[in-house]
Amino acid sequence: MRLLLASVLIPFSLLICGAAAELRGPAQVTAGNPVSLASTGTGSGKGTFYLTGPGQASKRTVTLGDEIQVHGDEVEHAGRYTAVVCDGRKCAATHFFVRAAEPAKVSLLVHPSRVRVAQPNAISAVAFVFDKFRNLVLSPAQVDFKASPKQGPAVSQTRPTQNGVTWIRLTSATKEGPAKIGASLGKASELRVVQQVASEACNLRIKPEWNAGKFFVETEPVRDCNGNAVSDGTVVSFTKVDASGKTTVDAPIKRGVARVEMPIKGSAKILVASGVVTGNELSVEGRQ
Amino acid sequence: MKYFVPLLITAATVVLIAIAWVNSGGMERERMRSSRTPEEAVRLLLTQAQARNWDRARALLANSSDVEKSALIADLAGSNGSLLTFANLENFDLWPLHKTDREASMRVKLHYSTAVGPLEDVRDLKVLHEGEAWRVVWPTTTATKVAPQVIPVNYLRWDIINRGAEDDWGVQNVDSPQVRILSMNALQRLDRIVIVGEVVNEDTVPAYVNVGATLLRPDGSTFAQESSFDKVSHTLLPKQVSPYRIDFPEARMNQVKSVRMDVKSLLVAASADPVIEVSDQRLQTDALGKKVLLGQLLNQSGQVVNIPHVVAAYYDDSGKVIWVSDGYVDQALLPQIPVPFAVDLPDDVAPKVHNYHVSVNYFNVNRS
Amino acid sequence: MMRLAFNVLIILALAVGAYFALRPAVMADGSARKVELNAENLGPRSIEDLTEKSITRDYGLAWQTMAAALRENRRELLDGYFTGIAKATLAEQIADQKNSGIRVRYTDQGHKLEAVFYSPSGDAMQLRDRAQLEVEIVDGDKVVQREDVTLNYLVLMTPGADRWLVRDLQTTAAEVRP
Repeated sequence: MRLLLASVLIPFSLLICGAAAELRGPAQVTAGNPVSLASTGTGSGKGTFYLTGPGQASKRTVTLGDEIQVHGDEVEHAGRYTAVVCDGRKCAATHFFVRAAEPAKVSLLVHPSRVRVAQPNAISAVAFVFDKFRNLVLSPAQVDFKASPKQGPAVSQTRPTQNGVTWIRLTSATKEGPAKIGASLGKASELRVVQQVASEACNLRIKPEWNAGKFFVETEPVRDCNGNAVSDGTVVSFTKVDASGKTTVDAPIKRGVARVEMPIKGSAKILVASGVVTGNELSVEGRQ
Repeated sequence: MKYFVPLLITAATVVLIAIAWVNSGGMERERMRSSRTPEEAVRLLLTQAQARNWDRARALLANSSDVEKSALIADLAGSNGSLLTFANLENFDLWPLHKTDREASMRVKLHYSTAVGPLEDVRDLKVLHEGEAWRVVWPTTTATKVAPQVIPVNYLRWDIINRGAEDDWGVQNVDSPQVRILSMNALQRLDRIVIVGEVVNEDTVPAYVNVGATLLRPDGSTFAQESSFDKVSHTLLPKQVSPYRIDFPEARMNQVKSVRMDVKSLLVAASADPVIEVSDQRLQTDALGKKVLLGQLLNQSGQVVNIPHVVAAYYDDSGKVIWVSDGYVDQALLPQIPVPFAVDLPDDVAPKVHNYHVSVNYFNVNRS
Repeated sequence: MMRLAFNVLIILALAVGAYFALRPAVMADGSARKVELNAENLGPRSIEDLTEKSITRDYGLAWQTMAAALRENRRELLDGYFTGIAKATLAEQIADQKNSGIRVRYTDQGHKLEAVFYSPSGDAMQLRDRAQLEVEIVDGDKVVQREDVTLNYLVLMTPGADRWLVRDLQTTAAEVRP
C-alpha cells in the first residue's frame, strides 16, 4: 500500500511542482503604450523578468509579487511578445500581442516610371499603411488616391485597405507630360511622378528642300496619333537610293523635326522610318 | 707570354659575339639589306614597320622624299586614336602579282592583332628596281584635313539620376528601357548554328542592349547559351534598330528543339551626337574574290570618332534577315571626312540578298 | 534489500515517465523546413510558376537564416533573405540579445503559406503563414521558457536581385483573411 502510494504521489508531486505560478497581462496592447503585468503565486523577494518579442530581448531584476511595468519603448514593434518571470527555481510566462498604432505613414509603389499616353490601366499604384513605429496597420483604413496630369483635371478615388494594403489602376492621359500620383491617409501622404510620353510616330512625312545648292530632307513635326510631339532624340532613319548606291543616315529629332543633308546624283528615291513606323517616299531629281 | 692570356680572352670574346650575331640572323639581315628581289624589299620594309623602326622603314622607300614619316606611321600604325593605334602587326603574307626587270607589283595581306580580335588589311604595292636593289614605292595620298571651323552641337544628351540608398522603399527608381526583339532567324552553317535578327529600342530613353539566346534540347534542358557579344550595336537611342547575331559553334539543328531569346537592357547616359552617314553602299567582290558590302562613313559632327564599328543586316526578298556581319574600321572618322569600310558576307548568302541595312556603332577613347 | 531497490527503480521510472509526458515527444532537427504555398486566391496579379518556386524556397531559407542569426547572435546572416523593416527589427533583437545575454531559439517545424496579395507590377507579395514552431528562451545555458506553438504571421516579400526577400514579418493575434 505504501509502495503504491509512493509510486503515484511522487510523480504527481513532481507534476504539481513543475506547474508554473501565473503571470497575467492584457491580451492585446497598442504599440508604444506601456503594459502592466501582474505576477501571482511566485513568492516574494527578487526575481528575473524576461521580455522577448519583435526587436526585443531583455531581462531585468524585479520584485516578485509586485506589478511589472513594461515601458512603451519596449513594445514598439507589432507582434507576439513573451513575458517570463523566474524566482530562481521556477518560471511563469504569459503572452500578449501588440497591434499597430494609428496610421502615420503611407508607402506608395507606382509603376511604371514612364508610360505611353492613352494606355488603359497602364499605371498601378499600391499603398501600404504603417504607423509611426513602421508597423503595418492591419485595421481597415481609407486611402485617397489622386492622379494630377500636366493638363486637365485631377482624378481621385478612395479605396479601403485590407491587411494594410490597397491598390488602384489608372489609365494614362492622352497628353504627354509628367503626371503626379499621390496617396494620402489623414496627414500621411506620398507623391510619385510618372512621365507620360508620346506613342509611336504617326503620319511620318518628309519633304525636300534645296538650300544654297545643297539638298536637305526634313520631316514634318513628328507627332503620335494623339498629336503629342515625339520626344527629341528619337531616331529617324533616312534612306536614299540613287545611282551611286544606297545611303542611310540615322538622325535624331531636334526640336520636333529630323533633318539631314543628302547629296543627290541623278534621280533618287528617299525613304524614312522611325522604329517600326515607315513614312512617305520622295522621288527627287538632282540639280546640275 | 704575359700577353697570351689577355689575347686569348679577347679572341674568344670576339668569336662568341660573332656566333651570337650569326645565330640572331645577322647574316640574313645583311643579305636582306641589299633587297635583291621585290619580295625581299617588301619583307624588309614590313619587318622594320613591325619593329616600329620608322626612320629605317622610310629610308628603304624608293620615294622616301615624297613620304612624310607621320603619313607612313598613320598608314601602318594608325592615328587619331583609331583601332590601329592599339594594334600590333603580327605577321604578313605577300605574293607577286606582276614582275618585269624594272618594276613589280606585290600583294600584301597584313595581319594585325587588336583588342577586338584579328584585323586584316590587303594592299597592292609597287616595287622599283634601282641600281642593285629593289625598293618599295609607298602610295602618297594627300590626307584630307579638316578646315578650321565651328560646328555647333545641340543634339540631345541624356543623364541619369538613380534613387539613393536613403530613399524610402516605395520611391520608384527609373525603369529600364523597353526593348523588343523584332525578328529572329536560326540558320545552320557548316560548323555552327547562327541566330540573326533585329532588336529595337521602343522607349524614349537610350538603352544599353545585349541579346542572348539559349538553345534547348527536346527534353527542355539547356544545350548551349550564348550572347551577341559585339555583333550588335549596344547603345540604342530611342526607336533605333540594330541587327544582332549570335553564334553557337559546333552545334547542329537536330540537337535542338527550340530557342529561348533574352534581351537585357540598361538605362545609360548617352548623346545623340555624332550622326554618321553611311553612303555609297553596294555589294561587290573584293580583290581576294570575297563578297563584301562596301561603303563610306561620313562623320557629320565636330568630334573625332576613334573606333567605328559597322554592323550590317542582309534581307531576302521577303524582308527576312538572312545574315548579319560586322567589322571594325581601322581609321578614325575625322569630322566631315569620308572613310571607306567593307564587311564581308558568305558567298552562299550573297545571291539571296535583296536588301541590306548598315548600323554604325563607335567607341571613343575619351568618352564624355 | 532487493525489494527496496526494486521499489526505488519503479518510482524513478514513473517519475521519468511523468517528466517526459510534459515534454513534446518529437523535436524537429531544425534543418528540414517544410514550406507549402497555396496561391489559389491570389490577386490582383497571378503568380508565375517560377515565382511560386522562388517564394517557397526563399521563405524557407529566410527562416533558416533567421533562426541561425538569433541562435548565434550574428546579424550578418540576415543579409541574405531579409530587408527593410524585418531586417531592422531582427537586427535590433540580436543587439538586445547581445546586451542581455538571453537568446530566442526557434525550431522550425513547417509552414503553411497562403498568398493573399500580389501587386499588379509584381514588386510586392503578401502572404499569411501558419507556422509550427518550438520556441525557447535561453538565459546563458538555462532554458527559461519552452513552448510548442502555432503562430500566424503576415509576411511581406519583395523581389531582390536574384531572390525574394522578407521585408516585413509580423505575428498576428487572429488569422488573417485575404
